[in-house]
Amino acid sequence: MSDHTIERVKTGIPGLDELIEGGFPRGDTILVAGKAGTGKSILATQFIYKGATEYDEPGVLVTLEEPPHLIKRNMIRFGMDLEKLEKEKKISIVDLSPSKEITPVTIGEYPSFDLSGLEAIILNHVKKLKARRIVIDTLSIMAYKFKSRDILREEFFKLAASLTRTGCTLLLTSEIPAQDQGLGVFDIEAFLASGVIVLYNEKISDTSRSRSIEVLKLRGSKHSSRIHSMRITEEGIRVWPGEISPGV
Amino acid sequence: MADKKKRKASKKKADEKIEVVLFKSESCAFCPRAEEVVRETLEDFGSEAFTLKIINVSENPDAAEEYGIFALPTVMIGGVSVTGIPEPEMLMKMVLGAKVMTKKKDGSK
Repeated sequence: MSDHTIERVKTGIPGLDELIEGGFPRGDTILVAGKAGTGKSILATQFIYKGATEYDEPGVLVTLEEPPHLIKRNMIRFGMDLEKLEKEKKISIVDLSPSKEITPVTIGEYPSFDLSGLEAIILNHVKKLKARRIVIDTLSIMAYKFKSRDILREEFFKLAASLTRTGCTLLLTSEIPAQDQGLGVFDIEAFLASGVIVLYNEKISDTSRSRSIEVLKLRGSKHSSRIHSMRITEEGIRVWPGEISPGV
Repeated sequence: MADKKKRKASKKKADEKIEVVLFKSESCAFCPRAEEVVRETLEDFGSEAFTLKIINVSENPDAAEEYGIFALPTVMIGGVSVTGIPEPEMLMKMVLGAKVMTKKKDGSK
């Protein structure tokens, strides 16, 4: 037995930390994958919110898809006031969503670019906030924004390495296309992260669906290998570690 | 009085100039070549018709965030952009598009 213990970052999501030896290994890259509507963005935002409110860990939420005003509106339903945390400089919401009016329309792309701009933008916020957590929601949108997937694949590795070098724990979300068996549109998502969590919302009868969560891998951790029940409650996502999902 | 007129005329000229913005970073390997292509193309076109603004995202990440530009190099001309080392023909198309837009705007005044 080794005496070395891995420092853990508590997610603060009720029930989840019990499945992963108390939290994510600090400084790791974690992927949260799932089909549309499975709760990826809620889980990711909850990770940022709980970090700032319960563990004194400021966080940077980079949104590539949903505009910030909608994220704030959706999270306030769960009693999570992101606006307040932003004003208190405990979190930053970096708006790189396509809805920004000022963003120019891309009319051409040549396979000779990198994501050093994204890296600089995020590191700027990490520095300002002394952030310990970063969320990028969602990687999948990049597949629609850029054609050069090979470049993106390589750039994701560089980006994840650079961001976690700061000591931050990085959580990426990835949307699994309907009918797809993989973990996302790039086919490298699983290699990108040392931890993978998959969310499900499967139809269990003609009239109902069942939400569940699976820790597919988490390097350096003895994690549950079962699929557990998960619900989106009035307080956000809650996992039932003792309950095995009937749905998947 | 004459000075005022001159200033007004030069201000008008500056307003008529098409702004070309190049977003680059210090670590981006493709950016130096992109800058060369942009400078050469604008010179061929007649550089007095343009203002070239270079934003180094490593030094000014806020500007890139404001415009939502995170892949580099990116060239932006009049509300449209290209990412990667651009072909001169593409830049020319963008410039012509921007000129048409400026004329339309002037015509509607």
